[in-house]
Amino acid sequence: MNKSRSKIIITSITVIIAMSALYVAFPESINAQLEGNIFATHTGGVITTTGEVIDPVYTTTTDPEYTEATVQFDPMEYLREFNYGTASTLPDGTTLREFTIIAEDDQVMEISPGIFFNVWTFNGTVPGPTIRSTEGDLVRINFINNGSKSHTMHFHGIHPAEMDGVFEIVGPGGKFTYEFEAGPVGIHPYHCHVMPLEEHIVRGLYGVYIVDPKEGRPAADEMVMVLNGLDMDFDGENNFYAANTIPFYYQNNPIQINVDELIRIYVLNMVEFDPINNLHLHGNLYNYYPTGTSLVPSFYTDMITLSQTERGIIEFEYKYPGKYLFHAHKVEFSEKGWVGIFQVNDNSQQDEKSAEKVEYGS
Amino acid sequence: MEVSGKQSKGKLIASGIIPFAFLVLLIVYIFGPGSDVLDLGVPLPEITIEKVDFVDSEIQVTVRNTGPIPVEIAMADINDRIQPAAVEPDKFLERYETALVRIPFVWNEAEPYIIGLTIEDGTRFEKEIEAAAPALEPSLELVGFFALIGTYVGIIPVMIGLLWLPFIKKISKQKYHFFLALTAGLLFFLAIDSIEEAIDVSDESLAGSFNGTLLVTTVIVLSFLGLYYTGNKLVKRADSLKISKPVAIALMISIGIGLHNFGEGLAIGAAVGLGSIAFSTFLIVGFALHNTTEGIAIAAPMSRGKGLVGKAIIGKLVALGLIAGSPAIFGAWVGSFVYSPFTSVIFLAIGAGAIFQVIVVIMKWIRNEGDKNFSSAAVVAGFAAGMLVMYLTSILV
Repeated sequence: MNKSRSKIIITSITVIIAMSALYVAFPESINAQLEGNIFATHTGGVITTTGEVIDPVYTTTTDPEYTEATVQFDPMEYLREFNYGTASTLPDGTTLREFTIIAEDDQVMEISPGIFFNVWTFNGTVPGPTIRSTEGDLVRINFINNGSKSHTMHFHGIHPAEMDGVFEIVGPGGKFTYEFEAGPVGIHPYHCHVMPLEEHIVRGLYGVYIVDPKEGRPAADEMVMVLNGLDMDFDGENNFYAANTIPFYYQNNPIQINVDELIRIYVLNMVEFDPINNLHLHGNLYNYYPTGTSLVPSFYTDMITLSQTERGIIEFEYKYPGKYLFHAHKVEFSEKGWVGIFQVNDNSQQDEKSAEKVEYGS
Repeated sequence: MEVSGKQSKGKLIASGIIPFAFLVLLIVYIFGPGSDVLDLGVPLPEITIEKVDFVDSEIQVTVRNTGPIPVEIAMADINDRIQPAAVEPDKFLERYETALVRIPFVWNEAEPYIIGLTIEDGTRFEKEIEAAAPALEPSLELVGFFALIGTYVGIIPVMIGLLWLPFIKKISKQKYHFFLALTAGLLFFLAIDSIEEAIDVSDESLAGSFNGTLLVTTVIVLSFLGLYYTGNKLVKRADSLKISKPVAIALMISIGIGLHNFGEGLAIGAAVGLGSIAFSTFLIVGFALHNTTEGIAIAAPMSRGKGLVGKAIIGKLVALGLIAGSPAIFGAWVGSFVYSPFTSVIFLAIGAGAIFQVIVVIMKWIRNEGDKNFSSAAVVAGFAAGMLVMYLTSILV
């Protein structure tokens, strides 16, 4: 009796262990199959899947019901958004431009679909707002640190030492007013300058500061592109690259421009870790003004190389309508997100239909 | 005493259950709703890429959530370049759940690839493939191919080893002890070999949460105990089953070696399937030489069977040879067509446990034959020779 009972127990335990081992080993084959849908990638591959598609197409939402993101950032809006501040005229005739910049370090941004990252922000976005003034203006920045760490604002440009945002550390809850005369003409970065500097920069505390020449520049469709990268896993290497933070954004949402219209892009390279970045434009060449300090272009090219915080202005016009890529010709960067498309529209001849018909490479 | 029998039995059961009840209470307290007493520290997510298949213009990745918290697969990359992909059945993985990530990608044969998966907090996990090889589709041709390989490395060498039987039969008791000890030495080597392989596979492809080394240890012990128990039953009943004791022991050795050869076949099949080795004729020769020694292990106890002569013994030998050798074929099939590192580790560990059991049986046999302390020159030399022979033939593999 005892023997047979123990046999039964041993047998049943063995069966249970074997069954559970099988389930652990091959769970996918036990799951029922669902009906498939077809998934075509923009790289040309086509597969039928019963599952979900993971493809870096970005959507902006901060609705807590759908996302843990707190940052609402629309790269298309940022592209052409220039902040001139609150302007007033001082008794001596100088224009005063006042800006309020708030630093925070607890924001969560959906960098790429489904991937969330704690960014440190000026005015709630990465990059921070584009600050624009004219040469000779008095720029006043009311800086408030709402973060849990110390932060500052360090502008590139010409200003007194105490306005340099390096030694005057602004602690959590602190305030500081930066005041300086706008200059020289060009495009400059601003960023936090608290140690450890690399961390304060790569987490997102940077933005563009433009100083226009008094006589102005020719009318153009103007844009800002901050070339940046994100190190999601803190291993000292970027996992994503982008123009304006969101990988692949302008590839999935092409920038609409017009034939024969002058395009002016203020480009700033904020990529850390990698020594250089670059910008290549398809189907065209551009005039390049390094740092934007001269009104005469230095190069006519389709390729510029930029090191850390190196920047300049590029100007071009498209002769033919259609889709044109722009991307880092350091192809690794473009395959990790630093790639976009100009959709050149021919509005003058109402020719859009014929332009759509010719879809090269599709 | 008789009167209070029932009462004391009740007490006994209660005293056995009470500690359990407290344990359950403790667990409920720790994990129960609203209990965040022990929510200290940050649980780190972890996923493990267990398998990568290269199919037509597509790379298929089997991934398992091996961390303490649920994760969401957010992105796939190949050689650190972002690729759109599909996740089946869905991208949300509970603990220990697996998913299949399908990445459309035109890959090149024999080139190395690093497959990366990124989860929602941006952490990236990767697996390196030394050389891309097309995933093996089960076809009659391949089934035949692996059957042939299994025959070459499993059945034929064991059969050749069995041919030493007439020789072992005619030798003196001392020399016979030498051969038994030699067998034990051979098997001991095989067991260590299996354990090493099992731990290698678990280190490479199983997540830390499986406790690879402990998994291997546990399965070895379970396998050993199970076979030890059934083996003793078999030997005790040898008479009623109309087989002699030597045959029963040989049968146990065959089963043990068969389980080991299943693991070996699994390793071969998996290696071909994963493209991590070039399957050369040299390798087959190495395995064959290595496995010939296993035939001796079966032949040794058989040689002392009384009344085992003529055709009867040939039939039994062939049967034992098949039991020991043919699992290599099944192992190769399983390894190449439905490879999973988990099953691989399990089978390798079962094989090791089986072999330890066989060693114990042989040692008992030697003791029954008269050498109580295993200290005779024959036994010591035999064991040492067994280890050395296996080591030298293993260099060929």
